[in-house]
Amino acid sequence: MTLSAPGLRRRPDPAGTPEPAPVRRTGLRRRVRAAGWSYAYLAPMAVLVLAFVVYPIFASLGYTFYQWNGIGSPSNFVGLANFRQVLHDSIFWGAVEHTFVYAFVLVPVQLLIALMLALVLNNPRLRFRMFFRTVYFVPVVTSAAVVGVVMQLMLSNFGDAAGSLFAGTGLTGSHIDWLGDPHTALAVVIAIGIWHTLGYNLVYFMAGLQTIPAELYEAARIDGAGPVRCFFSITLPMLRQVGVVIVVLAFIGSFQVFDLVQVLTGGGPYFATEVVNTYIYHLAFGGGSGSGAVQPDVGLASAASFLYGLLLILFSAAQVLALRRLGRRRAGSAL
Amino acid sequence: MRTGPIARTGRRGLLYLALTAGGLLWLYPFLWAVGGSLKSDDDFFATGLDPFTTHPQWSNYSQAWEEGDFGRYFLNTVLFAGGTVVLTVLATAMAGYVLARTEFPGRKAVLALIGATLFLPHGYTIIPVFDLIQRLHLLNTLWALIIVQSASGMVFGTFLFMGYFSTIDRGLEEAARVDGADFHQVFWRIMLPLSGPMLATVALFSCINAWNSFFVPLVFTLSRPDLHTLTVGMFTFLGENSTAWTLVCAGSVITLLPIVAVFLGLQRYFVNGLAGAVKE
Amino acid sequence: MQMTASPLSRRTFLRGSALAAGAVAAGGALSACGSSGSGSGSGSGLAYWDWYVTQAPWVDGEISRFQKAHAGVTVKKTTQVSAKYADLVALAYRSGSTPDVFMVPQSPGLAEQVDRGWLLPLDQWATASWQSRFPAGTFIEGANVFGGKVYSAPLKGSAPQYQLYIHNGVFRTAGLTNPDGSVKTPTTWDEVSAAADAITRKSGGKTYGFGFGNGDNMGLMAWWLDLFVRGAGAPGGAPSGSGTGLDLRVGRWTYASDRSYADFLDLMVQWKQRGYFYPDSLSLSDEAARAFFERGRFGMTVGGVWNQPEWTQHRFTDYSLVTLPSPGATPKAFYYADPVGTGAFAAVSARTKHPQQAFQWVDALTSPAAGRRWVQDLNGVSVYPADNAPAGIDSKPFAAFVAMTAQELTGPVPVIRNPDLAGVAPQAPKSDIGDLVTGVYTGQIKDLQSALSSLAGEKEQLLSTAVAAVAKGGKKAAMTDYVFADWDPTRPYTAAKA
Repeated sequence: MTLSAPGLRRRPDPAGTPEPAPVRRTGLRRRVRAAGWSYAYLAPMAVLVLAFVVYPIFASLGYTFYQWNGIGSPSNFVGLANFRQVLHDSIFWGAVEHTFVYAFVLVPVQLLIALMLALVLNNPRLRFRMFFRTVYFVPVVTSAAVVGVVMQLMLSNFGDAAGSLFAGTGLTGSHIDWLGDPHTALAVVIAIGIWHTLGYNLVYFMAGLQTIPAELYEAARIDGAGPVRCFFSITLPMLRQVGVVIVVLAFIGSFQVFDLVQVLTGGGPYFATEVVNTYIYHLAFGGGSGSGAVQPDVGLASAASFLYGLLLILFSAAQVLALRRLGRRRAGSAL
Repeated sequence: MRTGPIARTGRRGLLYLALTAGGLLWLYPFLWAVGGSLKSDDDFFATGLDPFTTHPQWSNYSQAWEEGDFGRYFLNTVLFAGGTVVLTVLATAMAGYVLARTEFPGRKAVLALIGATLFLPHGYTIIPVFDLIQRLHLLNTLWALIIVQSASGMVFGTFLFMGYFSTIDRGLEEAARVDGADFHQVFWRIMLPLSGPMLATVALFSCINAWNSFFVPLVFTLSRPDLHTLTVGMFTFLGENSTAWTLVCAGSVITLLPIVAVFLGLQRYFVNGLAGAVKE
Repeated sequence: MQMTASPLSRRTFLRGSALAAGAVAAGGALSACGSSGSGSGSGSGLAYWDWYVTQAPWVDGEISRFQKAHAGVTVKKTTQVSAKYADLVALAYRSGSTPDVFMVPQSPGLAEQVDRGWLLPLDQWATASWQSRFPAGTFIEGANVFGGKVYSAPLKGSAPQYQLYIHNGVFRTAGLTNPDGSVKTPTTWDEVSAAADAITRKSGGKTYGFGFGNGDNMGLMAWWLDLFVRGAGAPGGAPSGSGTGLDLRVGRWTYASDRSYADFLDLMVQWKQRGYFYPDSLSLSDEAARAFFERGRFGMTVGGVWNQPEWTQHRFTDYSLVTLPSPGATPKAFYYADPVGTGAFAAVSARTKHPQQAFQWVDALTSPAAGRRWVQDLNGVSVYPADNAPAGIDSKPFAAFVAMTAQELTGPVPVIRNPDLAGVAPQAPKSDIGDLVTGVYTGQIKDLQSALSSLAGEKEQLLSTAVAAVAKGGKKAAMTDYVFADWDPTRPYTAAKA
């Protein structure tokens, strides 16, 4: 290609002059052809996503209308019965509730800790910051399966000490079966969840902090602003954009929590920690026991998954609206 | 800062103390697992939460290595994770570049579509994916694992690269064009080398995910246990009715060490890469 | 090529070529892996799938014997992750890369596997004289035989599913001994309670009366209910899974109408309130519970014969076992032999390229000699009564287990009376009996009676839906097929001649 990149994107004019009016219809084909290499570069990603992410989602939509154990092709058409069944299933709604509790406790707590740590570790005068960063990030690289096995061993199997931790302090009457007691199990799962993925948010925040020009702090300091002032009038506002992305990502991740719960409690005891994805999993793959004596119900699982997706989309829309309103109010008060 | 040097030193000390204490707490499960991997069976039950043992049993590692057939699984995992990293990084870098730096009809639609996949429920998609892989005649090959695993990391990686490329100074690119560099040269010789930190970041993310992936390697190599990966191999230890706890710990450590090493190697670039991506 | 960023270019080039070289190398390795032999037997290698981990030594021994006896035939065993076994078999059929011989997965039902054409009929080799080596009633329509053709063969014999395991050392420490110094094994509910009380009290909280490991969430708590209610007169017991556990006298689940269920659950809650249970039992994994029992952290647990190999391996044999603890002196219901449930062990894929060798492997796996070795390795009882002779079994607890097969009665089997029932595949309730027991134990279920009756109702509903589906398919099936009004659960059932 010897053309001087006709497809190159122009940087929007800072003066805000409007972009050239849309080209005529005939121009479209030319523009497509001119951008040929752009499409070629896009293709590997687009093909993979279309084939292995988008297509399967749509393909599995069809299952929602069948009662099907996942073998052969679905044949027993049941219409909307699967949706009705899920909507009337108290275990499903319990799972939705647990998932939301998980997300709404985990996200704020984890982000707060991550932000505080990021502020501390971002200080260039702090020695061993690389070391500490590594320490707090390391849980992220471990698989949920290993985390589950080790935590379960520690907490219940071999953790008499862990169980009796508070027994002597008079806080509780006796030994607690942390993952086996319906009152504590979800809280413990959340705590382990916070521990496990804090590292991601830590580095996101650190990355965000690094984009704040040091001159801003210098200027503020010269003006006599203390660290607290600096935090509230420079750090927080400058982090807002990144922060929104971090919050959204954290919620997306939390709403899809699965491995950790599956390996720690399997949703038990008696559904006390069942989240939506373990609920779907149990439907799609039958019971957890050995050789799977329980018939899977793929149609029901797909319907539950679809309904949950709808819920999430509604929630995301609400979130976007709320953030936008918040942003507008901020902008309004700044004027 | 109007505090005196002594107070400041004291505060510093307190800070280090807190960071260290927190760090110990944070790493405790790892220490405990490493300790457990060195204990004898009886020790394991006797010592409870204490990670230390007086008589380290190094043979646990050789035993786990052999019994778990970790040698073979290790090679498979390296190939699988390596292939996934290469495919993911190349595909997402190219896509991120054209989405960030070129204008073409349909660009907005592509962005909307891949953005939506972050929110859409993935549900029970294993059968369509399985059928697709089978029709491609890739079942029971490492290629199947690499392709399916890479596909799952595409969207996130593309967004990261897009963010990163959009912050790189346009001057470089334009100067190269003036010098007669074409589209490919600009990307491969200028933009890609400049995106080192982001390459490291996406490579690390996709490596972590591939390394820890369980379901994909299990399902797509179902008739080829010799192609299983470390995570699947770990289940040898978690056999139905008996479990060698100390070996489980040793196996976990063996499984974890390489990925921790990869992280240590790449982490220098890591935060910078993310910082680049979020600048705008 | 002159580029403005020339200092970069050389390094970039080097890096690029290194990357390419790496990709080529990886590609070579990948395709090498991809091309070497595929699952469905190349040469005369037989691909064999199972999910046996602890039983692997037995399987491996049989493989090497088989290979010695059949020169040129090799068996390539793949032990799949047990929790995913059924899914993997289904996916293998979906893709056509099936093993030649495989352990029969429990889902889908054998009838459906035959319907889908998964299995090869073995009649060519499984002649009447071959069949005659198995006990009578092995090859009946609905169990191993479908549409008059033989598809599979059994290995394991039927035995009482669960026992109460007793740690002799713990009992001795608690003073629970007979005058002659032997351990006083409890056989009634009251004796069990008293023993638990003595252990928990005398140890000052260090040792507990009971313990179990429900951490894997596989409905293990139903084992307790199943073991204890039978003695109280509930012949259905409390097995998990769809379509099992009916009281066949009435053809329905009697969780609510038979007070034995509520009685035992009340007793269990009392035990918990008095602190008899090892407190981490709910989150403990099954494996850890086994290790804790071995170490005497609690005195009694409910489990099956699968506990024994590991304990024997660790040279821990100082334990006793009892089955069917009852409210009264004698059990009012028992375990019942189930030729259908334990019937099918291994089958041959319809797609095998070596049908004869595949059959020979099934034949070897289910031979009396292999069955004897199965018993001697303490894996369980063999389908052949002669294999289960106590002579030559040096593990006392295992001998005790084998002796319990005598206490197992022949019960009515609906599918024998009406083979059309073989196709009935009810859905499982999302919250099954194991969940219910867990919920009662944790206190999450407050209204026990209504929980019991709604679960019984739900299971009945699911079964009748499945029966109706079979009936709609033109077969003769009705809920009355599950009623054996003339059955006395304390006696072996002999079918009234039709």
